Amino acid sequence: MKLTKICINVFAALASSLTTSAVLAHDMVPGQVQKAPILLTGLTVHTVTNGVKVDNDVLLVDGKIAAVGKDLTAPDGATVMALDGKHLYPGLIALANQLGLIEIEAVRATDDTTEVTQTNPDIKARLAYNADSEVIPTIRSNGFAYSMVYPSGSMLMGQSSLMQLDAWNHQDALVAEGTGLHIRWPNASTLGSRWNPKPADEVRKANAEQLEKLQQYFKDAKAYYDAEKAGLNTGLDSRWHEMLAVFDAKRPLFVHADDERQIRQAILLAKEYGLKLTIVGGRDSWRMADELAAAMVSVIYTAPYGLPSRGDENYQQAFIVPKTLQDAGVQYALSLDGFWDTRNLVFAAGQAISFGLTPEQALRSVTINAAQIAGVADKIGSIEVGKAASLVVSDGHIFDYLGHKVTHLWIDGREVDLNNRHKQLHQKYQQRIN
Amino acid sequence: MTISRLSKVGSALLIAFAASSQADQTSPLQGIIDKTPNLIALTGATVYTEPGKKLQNATVLISNGRISAVGTSVAVPAGYQQIDASRYMVYPGFIDPYTQYGIEAAKPAARGSYRDAPVYKNDRKGGNASNAAIHAELDWISEFKPDAKAAEALRQLGFTAAQSARFDGIFRGQAFVSALVDGLPNDVVLNARGPQFMAFSKGTSEQSYPSSLMGSIALIRQTLSDANWYNQAYGKTDVRYFNAPIEYNAALQGLSNINQQGAIFETTDDRSMLRAHLLLNEFNLTNATMVGSGYEYVRLDDVKAMQRKLILPLNFPAAPEVEQLSDQIDVNLADLRHWERAPANAATLAKAGVPFALTTFKLKDKKDFWPNLRKAVKHGLSEDTALAALTTVPASIAGVSDKLGKIAPGFQADLVLASGDLFADGEIVATWVRGKQHSIKPITPIEFAGDYQVSVAGKPFTISLTGDAEKLSGSVKVDAGDAEAKIVKLEQVKTQQQLLQFNLNLADLTGDKQIAQFSGQLLDNNLTGKWQLMSGTEMLTAKRQPPVSVETDDKADDSVDINMLSKITFPNRAYGLPELAKQQNVHIKNATVWTAEKEGVLQNTDVIVRNGKFDKIGKNLTTPRGFDVIDANGMHLTPGMIDEHSHVAIEAGVNEGTDAVTSEVRIGDVLNPEDINLYRGLAGGVTTAQLLHGSANPIGGQAQVIQFRWGENAQGLKMKAAPPSIKFALGENVKQANWGDAFTERYPQTRIGVETTIRDAFVAAKEYKAKLAAYNKLTKRQREQVAAPRIDYRLEALVEILDKQRFVHTHSYVASEILMLIELADDMDFNITTFTHILEGYKTGKEMAAHGASASTFADWWGFKIEVQDAIPTNACLMAEQGVNVSINSDDAGLQRRLNQEAAKSVMYCGMDQHEALKMVTINPAMQLKIDTVTGSIKEGKQADFVLWNTHPLSVYSQAQQTWIAGTKYFDINTDKQLQQQLEAEKIALVQKVLTSGDAAKAGDKEGFKPYEPEWHCEDQGDWWQIGSHIHANGHKH
Repeated sequence: MKLTKICINVFAALASSLTTSAVLAHDMVPGQVQKAPILLTGLTVHTVTNGVKVDNDVLLVDGKIAAVGKDLTAPDGATVMALDGKHLYPGLIALANQLGLIEIEAVRATDDTTEVTQTNPDIKARLAYNADSEVIPTIRSNGFAYSMVYPSGSMLMGQSSLMQLDAWNHQDALVAEGTGLHIRWPNASTLGSRWNPKPADEVRKANAEQLEKLQQYFKDAKAYYDAEKAGLNTGLDSRWHEMLAVFDAKRPLFVHADDERQIRQAILLAKEYGLKLTIVGGRDSWRMADELAAAMVSVIYTAPYGLPSRGDENYQQAFIVPKTLQDAGVQYALSLDGFWDTRNLVFAAGQAISFGLTPEQALRSVTINAAQIAGVADKIGSIEVGKAASLVVSDGHIFDYLGHKVTHLWIDGREVDLNNRHKQLHQKYQQRIN
Repeated sequence: MTISRLSKVGSALLIAFAASSQADQTSPLQGIIDKTPNLIALTGATVYTEPGKKLQNATVLISNGRISAVGTSVAVPAGYQQIDASRYMVYPGFIDPYTQYGIEAAKPAARGSYRDAPVYKNDRKGGNASNAAIHAELDWISEFKPDAKAAEALRQLGFTAAQSARFDGIFRGQAFVSALVDGLPNDVVLNARGPQFMAFSKGTSEQSYPSSLMGSIALIRQTLSDANWYNQAYGKTDVRYFNAPIEYNAALQGLSNINQQGAIFETTDDRSMLRAHLLLNEFNLTNATMVGSGYEYVRLDDVKAMQRKLILPLNFPAAPEVEQLSDQIDVNLADLRHWERAPANAATLAKAGVPFALTTFKLKDKKDFWPNLRKAVKHGLSEDTALAALTTVPASIAGVSDKLGKIAPGFQADLVLASGDLFADGEIVATWVRGKQHSIKPITPIEFAGDYQVSVAGKPFTISLTGDAEKLSGSVKVDAGDAEAKIVKLEQVKTQQQLLQFNLNLADLTGDKQIAQFSGQLLDNNLTGKWQLMSGTEMLTAKRQPPVSVETDDKADDSVDINMLSKITFPNRAYGLPELAKQQNVHIKNATVWTAEKEGVLQNTDVIVRNGKFDKIGKNLTTPRGFDVIDANGMHLTPGMIDEHSHVAIEAGVNEGTDAVTSEVRIGDVLNPEDINLYRGLAGGVTTAQLLHGSANPIGGQAQVIQFRWGENAQGLKMKAAPPSIKFALGENVKQANWGDAFTERYPQTRIGVETTIRDAFVAAKEYKAKLAAYNKLTKRQREQVAAPRIDYRLEALVEILDKQRFVHTHSYVASEILMLIELADDMDFNITTFTHILEGYKTGKEMAAHGASASTFADWWGFKIEVQDAIPTNACLMAEQGVNVSINSDDAGLQRRLNQEAAKSVMYCGMDQHEALKMVTINPAMQLKIDTVTGSIKEGKQADFVLWNTHPLSVYSQAQQTWIAGTKYFDINTDKQLQQQLEAEKIALVQKVLTSGDAAKAGDKEGFKPYEPEWHCEDQGDWWQIGSHIHANGHKH
């Protein structure tokens, strides 16, 4: 009996590995470490922090940006690339998604996003990041160099990690570990689920219970923190231990919340414990943009393509949130909280231009703002001397379908293979068609 | 002869009836036979003999259960017991036409989870229907047991008769009418052959089918058709089209006479009512009444045009919760409007001349009936109409107009006696049912209230009693000369008929520490009795001095504010239009025109739109007289966006995902013209979409092509020029690969089985078609002898496919299944019009082109399941290269708003020509829907469906400025801003009204609003009828 069962399991594992091995590893080879200087010339350089410079050159040395300016001189042994008239941007940054953690949504075996229990501050998204995911090259080829991946779930979900998208494994992909503790805030609306409607009072009661539960987790974690400082802990509680950095305000809270009431509750909690707060989601952030700015709360806005949250809201409500946050002075980045569709984030930023942002502001929302929120703005997110040589070249404006054509991508000076599974299948079937 | 004595006679009569309740003719006699006469004269009353007819100072004679005379000059014959009703109003007894009175209610359905195993079969017994929601054979009279308690509760509201059947299932069985008194069912039944009760909800049926509203509708359609067939076929001996005698089917038997029998259809809102109406019309069921919802005012003209009677519940909704400011964002304008308008619904219907009855149905507390009815009267419902809605109208609905509903000779002696105008503030004092009196309050109450000069223990006091006999209270005032009078409350004040008792604490009055107890009686205003004191008893006699009557100035509910702050719009929700949009003749000047024709893109071009069509396209055209001009300088004009694959504006389930073949269900039956996604789509330039059934079965339901005519009703959305179409599906969804472990039973579970499922269905369709053809060749005389083939709507749809009258759009992903279906279609001689999704279409483009099939695909979706792992964003280009007509679809309400951007991705990923890319969301899908001769391009003579864009329509920066359908503007970015401002102002005003209405606003039905509709996706699958826990929403797995 036992044997049979094992056999079945082995068979099942074998079957799944047979069917999925083909799709779980791609054959694009990570770029070689930069050995010689590279000089890019004649570009329109979107520096992010220092304006747009027409007909400029950029010099990459040892994986870093060494110079930006007109008519730069190529050092000895440098590769010179004439990219006249093309547009140069910092490698784009996608925050708050599950790239590399999931390969095929409907196949549980390929999904490492969600752990059980509500108290997982000690789990780290990086450890399941599949650098060989077939999805990643399709994101790179639209100009993305970085992604901040997070574990999903409910309540205390775990820690996000910032990854660079051209790597052999999750160790060399890692840019920053523990960029934040991600929390899925409990429901605060009185409507309950549309699939399971309940009277408002019942929903309120359930909401309050969940909120108390979350608050209790923080009380427990704080008790551990206080005892730790006083040297009174009798053992290591890995959950609360990973929250020490949170209470030291070294690791920000990334609270996933869309509803105004949730966001308000999160701000109160952050104030109570003196924590650094970023809202992820933020559909209702427009209702309270001034408060967010005043409280120095950042927003990773994930619904740039969203339908309005409510039937009475304007059809373009979700589209104009970036502009509202911008005007109020809120620090924000744009995100599409998913995996394969991250390649469309660049166009979502483009649409935000249509709905009020300037092109420079839109660019910030997927570069320097994102780098700031992820705590790495000193290294990436703009074209400045000393920053990582992570750059993307597009024939035209990268945000518009009519201009977007990514021809080159470097990450830390390594030239990235822009091929992907989609291009390969395209080429393969071209053979049948012709 | 005093009144009180007469009253006693009345009670004696009651007791006599109770002692010998049997009056039927067939029970064996036992004991002494009751022969008490029932001869009563109500005299001096104000009598409403029927709505609109009022007699003052009239007499009503009751003779053995019937009215024998009524009038102002009717003499009381000798031998009649007279009741002085001069203080009262008398109404005909009320009839509730929609109850479950006297029947045990169905036990609530077991609520499982969507993961539970499906139930495909029904417990078969007694010749019942194959579906457990059909109980047409049930005769509820056979389950009827009078329920004294329930009858009394209804009588207290004035109801003396009710029509009943169990509220469970779709065909619920035949109702009956009974008098609301205890007794033998044999005696109290008034009409044993009532109408069939019906509804869309399958109730407690545990059978999976139907899991959607459209499934319910299909089931009703098939059942009514079957009933006609059964009438023709049952018992025929020539059964050449069957391999057996025609089955006995009790349910169909029960429907054999439905139009004479009548039907009562329970609806849940205006949309539901109009749907039920159309469905019954298909079978010419004119004799059907609709149970309403309070939402009828929303589509008043449509409701009126039904020419049907209604039965209206009075469960006015409680106001949406606005007390907490932070929670106000959960409240929508439509609900606020309905809260304000629901009490005026009946008056609105009455003014429109729609006949209706009232019912206690849906009232959680039946005691709300009169307060709510009075609220309706305050909102303009006339008393005569209200009375008709309680008497003559329900009598006619219940088929008892010859005996109930009026006070007229020969009618049953069912009366309501009220202390005043019932529609203002009168109270019901008594009812008579079949001449039998049921008192609620004494008809001649003893009035104790007044002052009494008494003495006790040698001290004089004034006792003052106030209130009715039931709620009597009293106090004592000490006559203390100069000193301030001392007042003490009486304790334990109790009455029973003329008897009166109370206690008086003397300590508080005189310092004498004892309680004096009084017991006595009031006769002809003389109180006599005795005090019990510590010292012994003392006699008391006192004359009652009646109180000076003080007009109580107001009643609590006078505060009903009938001024309406809310608007009624089309549709009646946020962003609805004040009136239906109208066609305009316009001259569009100087646009960049994307024709989607061989002319390509025309610069600086004028377009003239006349009578809904493109009239002229050219440069520097002259503006015809009376035409509006749009200066489109700098703007781009394109045909309206067309979406081959959408699920917006669908109500109550997108999948009938139960059986593997459900070609009988129709999306067109369940359109929801109130879906805000229509408006949002317009704002994205969408004018036309094919609404498809989901992808849960190999042969799904019939599709519906709509135009986004925001404001029109469901029928107005339908695009009549579009030929019928249907959804097929292949792959993971139909083999239930991702449905959970309980779903492994249904055939097919593999792609191999999908082929045989479809093949077998078409074999059946061909055989079915042959049978019908053979039957149609018979002579009329032969047909009379032969059991006709049964119309099968499931197969009818497939026959239409074989006849090239219905076109197939098939959900498909991988190459193997695409080739399989082409092979099968070629083999079975039908065509695949469009492969939809078709993410591996690039692998099989040649074969698709050879078959003549089009492709409608996502621009760049992948990653959501195994069968989309080979999806590539250049699919559209590669299919087009192979000669396939390609369109881009959305399958998603959000994505639908940027179809132009999705088309642009083919320009970006694979260099498609820009004009060709735009064709993928205009003329190409029009060709797939076979509406390309009508719309899809800008060409003289075609329907003027167009969008004005602020910039290049394939740019990420483009936004639709105006969207027009047939020369009618349905979206304007400037009007949108106004609509938003107006709705916000209206909302604030209504919130204020709720807040200032206080507790009155909180009273009412908390579930009195339309349910929220989820955004439907292809694979949202589950049981709509148990939405509590059954619906399966799993994000993006299309």
